[in-house]
Amino acid sequence: MNNKLVINYTPGPTFLHKLTGFTKVFSFLMMTVAIICTYDIRLLIPLLIINIFEIISMKPDYKPIVIMFAITFVTVTLIGNIMLFVVSPNVGLNNIGAENIIWHSTGRLYLSKEFLWYMLVVFIKRTASFASVIAFALATTPSEFASGLNKVGLPYKVCTIVSLAYRTIPDIANDFINIRNSMMMRGVELSKKASLWKRLKNTVLILVPLIFTAFGKVGSIANAMDLRGYGKNKKRTWYAEREPSKGDMVIRALSVVLGLLALYYIIRYRIIDPWPAKMWCPWVKYEDVIQINQIDTIFFMKWFKK
Amino acid sequence: MKEPIISFKNFGFRYKEQKNPTLFDINLDIYPGEKILIIGASGSGKSTLCNCINGLIPFSYEGEITGSCTVNGIEPRSASIFKLSNYVGTVLQDSDAQFVGLSVGEDIAFAMENDMIPRADMLPVIERNAKMVGMQDFIDKVPFELSGGQKQKVAIAGVFGNDVEILIFDEPLAALDPQMGMTAVELIDDISKESGKTVVIVEHRLEDVLHRPVDRIVLMSEGRIVADMEPDELLKSSLLKECGIREPLYITAMKYAGCSLEGNRNLCDLPSLEFTDDNEKKLREFFTMSREPVKENENETVVSFKNVTYSYSGDRNELDDITFEIKKGERVAIIGKNGAGKSTAAKLLCGIIRPASGTIELEGQDIKNMSVKEIGERVGYVMQDPNQMIVKDIIKEEVGLALSIRGVQKETAESQIAKVLEICGLYKMRNWPVDAISYGQKKRVTVASMMALEPDVFILDEPTAGQDYRSYTEIMKFVNTLNKEYGKTILFITHDMHLAIENTDRAIVFADGNMIAADKVFTVLADEEIIKRASLKQTSLYNLAVKLGLDPESTIQHFIEYERSVKENE
Amino acid sequence: MANKSFGQKLLGVWNTKTIVAVAIGAALFGVLMNYGGIPVFTNTSLTTAMIVPVVVGAMYGPVPALVAAGVGNVIADLLGGWGLWFDWSVGNGVAALFVGLLPLYGAYITEGVFEIKHAIIYMLCCVVGNGVAFGIVTPILTTLFYGGDLNVTFLQALAASLGNIAVEVIIGIPILFLLAKRYKSRTNLEEE
Repeated sequence: MNNKLVINYTPGPTFLHKLTGFTKVFSFLMMTVAIICTYDIRLLIPLLIINIFEIISMKPDYKPIVIMFAITFVTVTLIGNIMLFVVSPNVGLNNIGAENIIWHSTGRLYLSKEFLWYMLVVFIKRTASFASVIAFALATTPSEFASGLNKVGLPYKVCTIVSLAYRTIPDIANDFINIRNSMMMRGVELSKKASLWKRLKNTVLILVPLIFTAFGKVGSIANAMDLRGYGKNKKRTWYAEREPSKGDMVIRALSVVLGLLALYYIIRYRIIDPWPAKMWCPWVKYEDVIQINQIDTIFFMKWFKK
Repeated sequence: MKEPIISFKNFGFRYKEQKNPTLFDINLDIYPGEKILIIGASGSGKSTLCNCINGLIPFSYEGEITGSCTVNGIEPRSASIFKLSNYVGTVLQDSDAQFVGLSVGEDIAFAMENDMIPRADMLPVIERNAKMVGMQDFIDKVPFELSGGQKQKVAIAGVFGNDVEILIFDEPLAALDPQMGMTAVELIDDISKESGKTVVIVEHRLEDVLHRPVDRIVLMSEGRIVADMEPDELLKSSLLKECGIREPLYITAMKYAGCSLEGNRNLCDLPSLEFTDDNEKKLREFFTMSREPVKENENETVVSFKNVTYSYSGDRNELDDITFEIKKGERVAIIGKNGAGKSTAAKLLCGIIRPASGTIELEGQDIKNMSVKEIGERVGYVMQDPNQMIVKDIIKEEVGLALSIRGVQKETAESQIAKVLEICGLYKMRNWPVDAISYGQKKRVTVASMMALEPDVFILDEPTAGQDYRSYTEIMKFVNTLNKEYGKTILFITHDMHLAIENTDRAIVFADGNMIAADKVFTVLADEEIIKRASLKQTSLYNLAVKLGLDPESTIQHFIEYERSVKENE
Repeated sequence: MANKSFGQKLLGVWNTKTIVAVAIGAALFGVLMNYGGIPVFTNTSLTTAMIVPVVVGAMYGPVPALVAAGVGNVIADLLGGWGLWFDWSVGNGVAALFVGLLPLYGAYITEGVFEIKHAIIYMLCCVVGNGVAFGIVTPILTTLFYGGDLNVTFLQALAASLGNIAVEVIIGIPILFLLAKRYKSRTNLEEE
C-alpha cells in the first residue's frame, strides 16, 4: 500500500523536510489563505511557481504526483470546463464583466475571449492549490502534522485523532483487503459482472465484518493510552515537534509576510477600492466592467423572476 | 519482614454489566522485587485481577469492588489511573494496539508527552529505555516495519518511561512466534534482575514462561486463587490439568513413561533438572521401545505446486520456485515466520493472487482458468479472526450465506445447511445469535460456512492463536473429526508447536520465500537448522532427548505416536 | 446511550475511547475513499466512505461523526495526493452531522435499538443532510474559494448527493439493522 502514497511516514532529508511541524502547518495555512482569497492571476502565478519550486526541492517520486494531477486535470478541469461550456457559456461575462464573442454556434452555445480567460484563471488557481497541498503532503510526516496542528491552536485531542488515524490506516486497509478476499472466495461478486444493485448489496457483506474488526480494537487502544496517562493534563508536549532552527524562523517570517500581503490585498483591492468584477482581466478596463450579481446567474433564479 | 507492594485482602469484583462477580475472596501479597506468574484459563479472572492493579478497574471498567486492594500503599479505587501509572507499568497483550505512536521514539515518548515533559528532556530517557530493550537502532522506524516482538519491546520501553516500580505483562506471548516468545521471556527476566522491579506476568502458556525462573505461581480458576506456590510444587500437583492449563511437554513425556514426579530436583527447569535414577531408566526404556513403522499416506494428490514463483513488486520474489504435493486426507502444518511466504502460498492456492510462473493444481486440474469463486468451492479458507468473516446475526444464516449468494434453491440449500450444521455440531444452536457464542464455537461457524460449499481442502490460518488449552482442544477435536470422518484435507498455517506435534502428519516450512523443508513433523522438529530459520523454538522433547543422549528425531516420533494412541483410546 | 442528556447525545462523550473510535472512523473513511468504491461506469464509482459517519454517529453521536468524516476526508485527500478541496470536505462534514444524528431520535445501535421508524427518520436525515451540505454549503464555498460557476457546481452537487443518498440508504439501512441485531445479542451475552 505504501507505494501508492504521497505522504511519508518517515521524514526526508531536504531543507523543507527538516522544518518543524508548526512551521509546515502554519506556512501551509498562510499559503492556502493567499490562494483562496484572490482571483488575480498576477498574484496566483507567483504562488504557483513558489509551490512548484518547493516540490522540486524535495526531490520526490514524480510518478504518483503526475498521475494524481492528470486525474484531477481530467475530472475537474477538462470535464468541468466542457460542462461549463454547455451549461454556462456566459461565465466570462458573469465573472469578468465583459464579453467579446469569438465563435457562435447556431444554438445557444458560444465562446468568448472572457470565457477562455476565466478558464485560465480558475485552472491556475486550482493548480496552485493542488501544488501547495502536494508540497505540504510531501514535506510533512503525520506526527508533525498532528503536533503542528496543536501548535497552531487546535485542541490536542483532535490532533491525536489525526495521528491515530494515520497509525491505523495501513492495518485497516489490510483488514479490508483480507475481508474482501475471503468474501470473494465465498462467492461474493463485486466486479461489474454483477448488477449495480447486487454490488451495492454485496458491499454490505464486506462492510459489516470490517466495521466489527476495526471498532473491535477501540477498547485495547484506549486502555493502552489511559495506562500511559493520556488526557492527564490540559496540554501535552510533542516528541515530533523539534526545536526550531534558523530556517524555521525564516520560513515562519515569510509566511507571516504572505499572510499580511493577502490581508492587504483583500483590504486594498476588495474593500477600499474594489475591482468591479470578480476577476481582473488585462483587456477589460475599469470603467467598462458590467456588474452582475452572482445569485442572478443561477438557472433556477430565472424561474422566480418570471 | 518486608511490606508487600501489592496486597489484596478478601477482595472481590463484579463488572457492572454482569450478574455474578468475576473475582471472589482474593487474598494475595506480592513483595517488592518478586517475579510472579499468574496463570489460569480464559475467564479465570487473571486479566481482571491485573486490571485491578493497574487501575483500569474502576477507571475504564465500572463495577462493584469488595474488600481491599493496595498498590504501593494506595487504594486504586480512590486514586486516579494517572496516579497509579506512576507506579505501575502495563504491557498489554496486543502489542500492536499498544503501539500508538508513529515511530519507535514517539511511542516510547508517549507517557512523557502526556506528562508535559519538554522534548529536550525526553531524548536521553528515550535513548536509555530503547537501549535497555535493544531497540536503540530503530528509534526512527515506523510501526509497520516492526515485528510483533519488536513492538512488544517498544511497549516495554514505553511503560518504563514512567520509571515505574511494578511491571505487569498481560499475556505477553499471545501474539508472538515461538522464537520471539522465548526472547520476550528472557528480556522480562533480564529486566526483572537488573532493575529489581516487581514483575507480574499473566499467561496461560506455562512451559514458555518457565523458560526462565519465576519466584511463585498463582493459579486462578473461576475467579478464585486455587494455588499460590513454587513452580516445582505446582508441577507435581494435579491442579494444572484440573484448571485447564497445559503442562510442559517433558512432564507429559515423564508421565507417559510412568515416572514419579517426586524426588526430581529442579523439576521446573529442564536444563538443570536432575532425574532420579529410576526415572531416567524409565524414560530411556520408554523412548527406545520398538514400534510399528509409520504408514505412508498413499491417497491421490489433491494439491500440487510445481515450480511456483510469485513476485509482488517485480524486484524480489515473495515465493521462489516452490514445489510440493499434498495428498488427500493429509493434515499439513505450514510453518514459517511472518513474511516467509506461507500466507502468499495460501493466497496463491485460493487464486486471490496468481503465480508469475509455475502451475498450481487442485485434484489434477490447473487452477489458472478458475475464478476465485470456483476455487472457493474446492478450497475453504478460514481466517484467523472469526470476526473478520462473520456477517449475519444468526448461525444458520451465516452458514448458508455462500449458498444464498450462489442462488441455490431454497430446499436444496436448507438440507445442505442442516447437514453441515450437523457435521459441525451446531445443529442445536442453529437459531442462536452469532455474537452469543464462544470463540471456539465461532471458529466452528466460520468453518461450517465454508463447509456449505463442500470443499475438499481447508486452510486454517492460525486457528488456535491466543486460545487457552480448553479452547484449543475444542477447536482441534472438531478439525480432527472433519479430517478423520469426512476425509477433508487440512492445511494449518501456524506457529503453534503443540498444534504441529499433536495434530499434523507433515510440515512444510518456509523461510525468506523458499521452501526449506517438507517432511514428517518429527523430522522437521528435530532439525536444528530448520527450527532456527523458521523462527521456531526447540520443543522440550528435543532438549529432553539431548539430555538423555537419545536421538531427537526418534524421540519426538515416539512421543507423537504414543500420544496419538492415547488420544484414540480416550 | 439512552440515559444520556441531549447535549451528550449530540456532542458525544469525549473520553479516550471516543477519541480512538473517531480516529478509527477517520482511518476507515480514508481506506474506503481509496479502495471502497463501487464501480458504476468507467472511471465513475460510488464511494462507500459515507457509511463511516453513519456508524460512528450511531455509536458515539453526530459530532464525533462529523469529526471522523472531516478528519478522514482531509487524510484521504493527503494520502491519495489529489489535493485538498475545502468546499467538498466541509460539505462532507455537514452531511456527516446529519446522517450521524441517530441517537437523537432514539436509534441506539450498540444497545440493539433500530426499528422501521428509525430507518424512515434516518432516510429523511440523509436527504436533508445531503441537500443542505451539497445544495447550499458546498456551492457557496466553491464560489467563494475557487470561483466555480454556480450552475456547474449545482449539477455536480446533485450527482454527488444522489450517489451518497443511494449508498447511505441502500447499504446503510441493512448495515444498521444488522449491527443493531448483532450488538443486541452481544449485550445480552454480558448480562447472562
